Amino acid sequence: MISLRGVTLVYPNGVRALDHIDLEIEKGSFVFLVGHSGTGKSSVLRLLYREVKPTAGSVIVDGIGVDRLRRSRVPALRRQLGVVFQDFKLLNDKTVWENVAFALQVTGAHTKDVMRQVPRVLDLVGLSHKSRMYPNELSGGEQQRTAIARALVNNPKLLLCDEPSGNLDPTNTTEIMELLLRINLKGTTVVVATHNQAVVDRMRRRVVRLDDGRIVTDEERGYYFLGLGQTQVLSG
Amino acid sequence: MQATAIGTVTVTIILLGAFLYFRGLLIHLSAEVFNQIEISVYLNANITPTQTEQLRSAITRDRRVRSVQFVPKTDGLKELRRRMGGQVDTSLLTQNPLPDKLRVRVRSPEQVSRVAAHIAKLPGVATLNYGQDVVARLMQLSSVLGKIGIAIIAVFIVIASIIISNTIRLTVFARRREIGIMQLVGATNAYIRLPFICEGFLDGLLGALVALGLLAIGRVELMPKLSSALPFVRFSVAANDLWQLPLELLIVGGAVGAVASWVSVGRYLRV
Repeated sequence: MISLRGVTLVYPNGVRALDHIDLEIEKGSFVFLVGHSGTGKSSVLRLLYREVKPTAGSVIVDGIGVDRLRRSRVPALRRQLGVVFQDFKLLNDKTVWENVAFALQVTGAHTKDVMRQVPRVLDLVGLSHKSRMYPNELSGGEQQRTAIARALVNNPKLLLCDEPSGNLDPTNTTEIMELLLRINLKGTTVVVATHNQAVVDRMRRRVVRLDDGRIVTDEERGYYFLGLGQTQVLSG
Repeated sequence: MQATAIGTVTVTIILLGAFLYFRGLLIHLSAEVFNQIEISVYLNANITPTQTEQLRSAITRDRRVRSVQFVPKTDGLKELRRRMGGQVDTSLLTQNPLPDKLRVRVRSPEQVSRVAAHIAKLPGVATLNYGQDVVARLMQLSSVLGKIGIAIIAVFIVIASIIISNTIRLTVFARRREIGIMQLVGATNAYIRLPFICEGFLDGLLGALVALGLLAIGRVELMPKLSSALPFVRFSVAANDLWQLPLELLIVGGAVGAVASWVSVGRYLRV
């Protein structure tokens, strides 16, 4: 699904965000990107939805050579993947329904499709009853679920989440993570960048750890901190 | 912010419209004056009818000359009485002081001075007059207006575009978050641009409409005053020819708004 080979990313201000990254993510998997702030988690995601181009190396998403993608083809790429952010990025003057429908409308979808797809994803995230409300009338968790619904309405094969629980309390965080898990079980590849230790440790999924722009460890069923699993196994 | 953009268009279109209106007026007036240009050729007092006829046919043979008309001094006096009617008591004249005259019209006003110089050398001609100063000044004015007119209009439109583009950039800036989200969910640049361009076009159109309204009021209010200050200028005739000016100004307003929006949004569309 995702293949990064020898990817280096240097921002125009000279900051070396990523340094020779190699990463393969299979279709249908659930992967955490962890590490301190500024270690390159977000940069990896931004490469995948072509917010930035790598300075060197190749980025392939679902067979598309993203690093060599022409600018005019970027919208087509973004329609094939969903992106969710810490700050939700909802339009405050649009209702939940309109925010979700918006993502379909910009692609030129027929009203028929909008009327079919929007209720489906709102039902999936459990917000059918709040579809007429505005973002500032919702809790943080509900806003994030709206954002997830918007990301899913195009039926993407890949869902990218950048600190999805960064602004949420533990209860809402758990709900969001369970939602992401359900989405993953339906076949969508999910990549979550986070520094929420509790989430990572509870879910026991593949954990790719970044430090200073490099991948330092990559574990199946990993923990947030390296070696924590062993300690727990010992103490248990 | 929209009000600023509309106001900018309004001011620009008023300036442009007033400029174009007066330019049209001057071109029209100078054309009218050119058409009235004639050379008054005054003949020697002792000239015989045969000599007059010879002179007349000599002038008529010149290809640059459109028409030659003989005005005997009695007709000249009548004409003078008519023009001066009421202002000077012409009945006090005991004898006719005017010479006979040939009224010569040329085909094109640019040639008038050369034709006049040629006629002045012919035998039997005492003196001639064709409003030399007026002709020279009008020729100069119309050529200057013709040359720099286009340049001034171009400069006007460029300045307007820059100001409007800056104003619209503020509108775009206020909505950059929305633009970012649209890009995120896969909207094409054309899709994002369209509403901004429509808005710019409508702003420009609205600004031009307001400007036209103000120009119309200005014309109604100012023209009678101008006409009474400059009684020999026929403003109304010139204005009737300018019916297509409002249409042009509307198109300019709308186009400038649309182009300025296009440029402004473009700055936020770089991926």
